[in-house]
Order: sequence, then structure tokens, then C-alpha cells
Amino acid sequence: MQTQAISLYYHIPFCARKCRYCAFYSLARTDEGTFDAYRDALCAHTRAEADGRAVESVYFGGGTPSLFGAVRIRDVLNDVRNGFSLLPDAEITVEVNPATADGQFFRTLADAGVNRVSVGMQSSDDGELAFLGRTHTFADTVRCVSDARDAGIDDVSLDLLFALPGQDVERFRKSLTDAFSLAPTHLSVYSLQLEEGTVFYKQRQTLSFPSEDEEEAQYDLLCAMTAERGYEHYEISSFAKDRHFSRHNLRYWLRGEYLGFGPAAHSFRDRRRFSNTPDLDAYLADPTGANDYAEAERISETEELEETVLLGLRTTLGIPARIVPADRVDRLESFGLLRRQGDRVALTERGWRVSNAVIGQLLP
Amino acid sequence: MYDIKKIRNFSIIAHIDHGKSTLADRLLEYTGAVEKRQVEEQLLDNMELERERGITIKARAVRFPYTADDGETYELNLIDTPGHVDFGYEVSRSLTACEGAVLIVDATQGVQAQTLANAYLAVDNDLEILPVINKIDLPSADAETAKREIEDIIGIPASDAPCISAKMGINIREVLERIVRDIPCPKGSPEKPLRALIFDSYYDAYKGVVVYLRVMDGCLKVGDRVKMMHTGAAFDVVEVGTLSAFSLDKRDCLYAGEVGYFTAAIKNIGDTKVGDTVTLRDEPADEPLPGFKKVQPMVFSGVYPADGARYGDLKEALEKLQLNDASLVFEPETSAALGFGFRCGFLGLLHMEIIDERLEREFNLDLITTAPSVVYEIVLTDGTTVRVDNPADYPDPARISEAREPIVKASVITPTEFVGPVMQFCLDRRGTYLDMKYLDPTRAELLYELPLNEIVYDFFDTLKSKTRGYASLDYEPIGYRKSDLVKLDILLNGELIDALSFIVHADHAYARARKLVEKLRDNIPRQLFELPVQAAVGGKVIARETVRAMRKDVLAKCYGGDITRKKKLLEKQKEGKKRMRTFGSVQIPSEAFMAVLKPDDDD
Repeated sequence: MQTQAISLYYHIPFCARKCRYCAFYSLARTDEGTFDAYRDALCAHTRAEADGRAVESVYFGGGTPSLFGAVRIRDVLNDVRNGFSLLPDAEITVEVNPATADGQFFRTLADAGVNRVSVGMQSSDDGELAFLGRTHTFADTVRCVSDARDAGIDDVSLDLLFALPGQDVERFRKSLTDAFSLAPTHLSVYSLQLEEGTVFYKQRQTLSFPSEDEEEAQYDLLCAMTAERGYEHYEISSFAKDRHFSRHNLRYWLRGEYLGFGPAAHSFRDRRRFSNTPDLDAYLADPTGANDYAEAERISETEELEETVLLGLRTTLGIPARIVPADRVDRLESFGLLRRQGDRVALTERGWRVSNAVIGQLLP
Repeated sequence: MYDIKKIRNFSIIAHIDHGKSTLADRLLEYTGAVEKRQVEEQLLDNMELERERGITIKARAVRFPYTADDGETYELNLIDTPGHVDFGYEVSRSLTACEGAVLIVDATQGVQAQTLANAYLAVDNDLEILPVINKIDLPSADAETAKREIEDIIGIPASDAPCISAKMGINIREVLERIVRDIPCPKGSPEKPLRALIFDSYYDAYKGVVVYLRVMDGCLKVGDRVKMMHTGAAFDVVEVGTLSAFSLDKRDCLYAGEVGYFTAAIKNIGDTKVGDTVTLRDEPADEPLPGFKKVQPMVFSGVYPADGARYGDLKEALEKLQLNDASLVFEPETSAALGFGFRCGFLGLLHMEIIDERLEREFNLDLITTAPSVVYEIVLTDGTTVRVDNPADYPDPARISEAREPIVKASVITPTEFVGPVMQFCLDRRGTYLDMKYLDPTRAELLYELPLNEIVYDFFDTLKSKTRGYASLDYEPIGYRKSDLVKLDILLNGELIDALSFIVHADHAYARARKLVEKLRDNIPRQLFELPVQAAVGGKVIARETVRAMRKDVLAKCYGGDITRKKKLLEKQKEGKKRMRTFGSVQIPSEAFMAVLKPDDDD
């Protein structure tokens, strides 16, 4: 009998079209037959893992879960309920592409117990959306958020991107302002990264990404505008209104256990990190066996320390001060990059901007 | 067997890439001293690096028999010479061991700076010079012009010089015939007291030092008690013999006129200095052979492992190289910026580059080499003179009454269209014009006196770029001259970075300071705080730049609990830290030092 609660992540690796910046595992397969087979595989995998353990959060990410359909998500959730003890206040999130969700979709989700949606808005500028290869417009996002609320899902998070090629501070301000007009309870805002294997990567010579200084200015604007509107900057790229934190993501940062379902999904359990083979057909053939669990070694104490620092410093909770050298902390505090709070130490907003470098200074 | 009249000792001399090693291979092949298949690589250049650079770094010698048209079989000793200006003394000793020299001139390039320098050396040593025109197989070959240049510029007859292609094996026998016919047999008498000239040596793990020598007078036998007339070291001879392409051939005795080797369980290569005279301890010669010089390093630099943990490996590697290269000197040095390393002395820039490359390749080391320095003579106010080869040891200006720097006489041969730019360049480098000669209507030789410290500051590469690669350079030291020198220091975040200090003429201090601080600004990664980069002379800042603080680093999504990318970044950081130099609060990767210390190509 497991006592510690766990989180579940379901990867839905289907997209109508691959976004030009995206390097995640997804396929352009959208036929109902594949979807049904995939639903069956996820359910079988869920049943195989079911051990009655308490589940604190469930997250359907992608890919495009909204393309997969609310009914199939409900089917999977049924098996979660049957096999695990889904806590009464569990956070159940579904990622939504505004182009593929309507009122019926949200109503079915709400009936299935989904209480949070994460909407891939990315930008309010339709030119930027087209440039990114998104299949929706800002009007779709507005409608989508309204449909979710009408269906009773109040917890709406918006995903935004910044540091886009050609994007200046003013254009980003416009997107942010438009996002606030939708009154999201949560914002996840990432700078666009050039990843190998993407269309952007192939075109990188022709794209003009913002300079370090321009990117910093956008991040500054983000911090200022969210603060003005009462959002708490609780994680390096996450902002919550009225304590609507993403509990699922917080579990990643705080090193809680989670299980990943579907190809390319990652798991952390029994001090082992492992991932499922990024191969849909392999997963369909053997949902429980298509992972590298056997090769995964238990995380060493050194690695544990590294992970604690690496992940913990993403949040305002920070890390215990005793696990890092005090003289380094003093120095970084004098630069205004770290702050002590009791026996813990956390990055300041300035520190978050250069978190990789600060973390590098704190670890041996 | 021994017949001094049948011995021919000779060298091959040439400008770089004119075909010296190829001809040597062909001669050995033709006479059957080696099989063709054995000459896959040029035998006489048997270090990998030499092959790549196409130059012979250390002398080697080989004996081979040749049956000439007159029916007689001759004993030919080919003594190879290092092909670069840094090894001028070694070249002169190798030439002294010979009676003649084959002077190769490339039919497509004609006489070049080193052709001249080597030819003059051969003339100075009273050698019979045998001109040979090479590369006649190339479409652009012009043998007649090459011959005329030899006659006009060097002043030796060349009308009947063999025209050959060493590469294609054309007219090789003609060269051999001319060696036998034109080069005189050795003089000297086996009856006289032993005098033998050392022209090379190397360390063998089993035999100790193997000494290459030319017996001038007397004979050298196994069991002889010999003495080095200059170093005074004495040894019992264990083995003597001659040199063939792939082995040492033991004999009982070497006689006057012959070239060969001996071993005597010698541990230290420094006991067998090139140019020293070997004699018998109990019946010594009256006087040593003339021309011995103690070789002094001309260029010094600090050599540090990029990964500080590899100091021990570097020490071992230097010791191994020194076993075979007595001209390499080194001693431990500590730098606040770079940690533990060695101050190394080299014969010249090429020697330095070769040692550097061998350390990196053969010993798999990654090095930071500080800017090369020459040896300055500083007269202090108390009247004493100190020699300074390390900017860190440069005395306080208040204590200096006079500073002197080494001067060389440099010869630059250039197509006439570049005479203007070359003269301007020499002037910029504080050169004093001596003379200009037109070698032919298209080429001129310029003679300048130049400070050696200008030569070691990227002179040759710049000269090449200013003449589209055509200019050639040769130089020899001619002494010291009073100069207005200053020590330039670099400060990062207000802290002196000792490894970046250098000595420079006061007139050039500002320009060099500017350039260096700009290079540092461009190569030092942004830190978590703003970092001032300053250049100072005697505590006064003369140039300043700022490395701006880091603004924003990568904010990657940790999607679906996938933290592998984050961890990879951490691993990369850890790897980088090993090569990071920390002083005070500043961290600088070794690569930044390397980039900054690499010479420019643009001034």
C-alpha cells in the first residue's frame, strides 16, 4: 500500500499540424481509429499501474488533447478513478488548442471532473500566431475561454510565448494586455527556444531573434504587468491569481512522484527517472513495457542535491539554505540575485532572469 | 675497406617546400638503401609533425653506398639539416660536418630567403655547392631563370646544374654522379688525436643518449674513454657505428672522415651539446673544433594546462620532449590567473609552436600559452644588469636606469610590387632600413634591423598576408640595443591578471592595450555583474572596456516533468567548470585566454 500521493501525466501525441517551434513528440495522425486504439492503450496502461494510491493531480498534455476529444479523456479518467484514489480536491487539467475546442467539448470535460484548462493562446497577434504555425486566431482563444467558463470550468490558465523573432516589447505588451482581458487565473509564459528538429531550427539563419537585452526587457515587462494586476510570480515562468497555482507543475518542482502515460512521457518514482519510448506504435503494442525503467538507476545523493537546487530554485519556496555553500549565497545575495527567507533561500526576480548561471555558482 | 677518398659527406639545403626531403628519399631509393615501399613517408622527416609542416625539425643522417659510372663504390653520408631559421646554429654545425651541399632551387619559385641564408652558411663553411633545379615537371617550371638567379644572386655557376624532378624521379642519377665528382673527399688523418664534431643526438631508453658525429681526425673505438671538450663530460664508449635508413649498424671503429654514432650510457642529453668536440680523455687534441656556441633560448612563454588538474601530465610531457631536445628549457612557474605551469624557453617562434603542438598532439594536452617574450637586459639604478624573460619579473620602472632589447638583422625577399607595403610594415615594427637589392626585375631583398620582440609578435603571418603569401623571411640576432620599454598590465575587476602582462615599446603601448582590452571584452563571457577590463602601464590605466553583466539566460520549458534537458545543461556547466579559471569573483574559461593570447591577423 503506497502512502505518498502521486500525480499522473497523460501525453496525447497528436496534432493537426506541427507548430514551427515545437520539438515535442507528436504526430499528424487524426483518424478516429488511431484515437480509439490510443485511448484503449492509455486505459490498459492505467489499469496496469493502478494500485489504489492517492492521486493529487492529473494532467492531459500534448500534442493536442482537445483534438483527441473529451469523451476519450473521460474514458481514461474513469479508469483512473477505478484504479487509484483520486483525491476529492485533485487538480485535473487538460491542455486546449483554441482551434479544436467547442462548448460541447468543455461540457463533457466538466462532467468528467476536469476542473482546470490550460489554453495555448501563445499570442494575441494573428500574424505572430500564423508565423508560429498555430492553427488558431486570437478570436478562437476568446471564444474558447468563454466556452470553458460557460461549462463551469473557472480555472483557466493561458500559455504565452515571448522573445519571438521580430517581436518587440510593445507587441508583447499588447499580447499581455489581451491575455489579462480574459481574466485568467494563471499564466505560463516562456521565451521561445530554438530547438533542433523544428522548422524554425532549419530556418534559423533567416530568423532574427531578440537580443539578450530585448528579451530581458520583455521579461521585465511581464514581471511588472503581472504584479500590477495582482498575479503572484510563484515560479520562474508561472503567475497565479488568488493562489491558483498549478499544483501539478509544482509537484515537478518539488520532486513529488509522478507517472507518465503515452509515448515520450516521463515518470519519477522510487527515486528513478524514466521515460516511455517515443514511438506510438510500440506504445500501442505494449503500453506497459515501452519504457526504459529497467535501465533507470536510482538517483544518487549528489544528483538528488542537484535536482533539489535546480528545480527548487524555480519556485518562490526556494531550497533549504544549508544545502548550498553559505559564502556563495552571501555573494549572490549581495548582487541581488538571491534572498534568504528564514532557513531557506530563493532566487529574486532578477535572479530568475539568470537562473542557470546562479545555479551553476551554487553547485559544486 | 676504409678509404677516405671514397667518402662523400654532404647536406641538402633548400628553402622550405623546395623538395629537400623528397630528393633525399629518391637518393636512398635509387641506391637501394631503402625499398620504394619503405619510402611511403619521407624517411628523414620521421616525426608526424614534420611531415605535416613539410619541414625537417631535427637533423638526421644516413649512410648509403653508391656505385658510380667510374665503377667505384662510394660511401655517401647524407646529413639532413633543420630547415628553419630558429635552428640556424644546428644547421651550421651539420654543414661543418660536410664537404659539400646540394642546393635545391624550385624551378617555379627561384631563389628564396632561406635559399640565400643556407647558401651563405654553406659558403661560410667552405662547402662545395652543387646547385640542383627541382620540380621541372611542373607546367610553370622555368629552369633557366632559376639557374640565372643562382648565378646572379648567390654568385655560383649553375649553367650545368642538374634539372630534376624529385617527385617523379627524373635525373636522380645525375645528382649522384655530381656528388661523387664535384664534392671533395674529407680531409683529416686517422693518425692524429681524435677530434669528432657532434651534430645531433637523441635519447634512447635502452642505450642512453645516441650521439651523431663526424670524425674529423683520429678514430673512435668501442671502449675508448672520451671527453667532451666544452662541457668536460667524460664517458666510456659502449658502442660505435654507422647510420643506415632504419637502423644503427655497429662497427668496431669510426675513422677520420666518417659519419656515425656512439653511445656511452649517457643519461643527460645536455652533456652532448651540438657543436662540441669529442676527443680522447687520455690523448686529447690540442684544441677543439671551432664554432661551438652554447645555444640560448630566444623566446619564452608560460605554458599552462587548460585543465589545471593536468599539471603533472604537462611536467612529464615536457621532460620527455627535453630528453631529445636539449634546446628546450623549462622551469615551474605559478600564475595567480592560470595556476601551476611552466616557463619555457625556445630557440624561436617555430620551435615554440612545434613544442606546443607536440604537447597537444602527442600528449593529448590542452594548453594555454602566454604571449611569447624575448629576453630583455635591464640595467638597474645600482649598476647591476638583470636579464628578464618574464614580464612578471620586470623591475619597477623607478629602479631601471636603462632597458635594452634584442635586435635581429632580417632579410625579407618579396615581389617588387609589395616593396612599399613591406617597407611600411617594417617601419611600423620599428625597423631600421639597411639596404635593398633587386634580385631580378620582379623580386627584391630588403634588409632591416628589427627588434626581436616585433618579430615574435605575429610578424611573419602579417608579412605573408601583406604580400599575398609571397614574402620569405630570414633573420639572425645581432645584439642588444637601448629601448624605451614599458610593462603593460591587464586588470579584470581591478585585479591584475599576471598571465596577460607583456613588455612593449612605449610607442606601441596604447595601440596594443586598446586591442587587448577589446579582445578581452569580446571573449570573456558575461558574468553576473559588470566587469571592468583595464590595461595599465605603471599603475596608470590607458585603456578600458566593460564586459556587461549577464541579462537573461535560457528559460526552457520543463514540460511534462521532463527534466533531462535541465540536467544536461548542468552537466555541461560542470564540464565547463573544469576549464574555468577563478580569481576573486571572476570566472574565465580557458578558451577566452586562448582566444586572447592567439596572435592577430589584422594589423
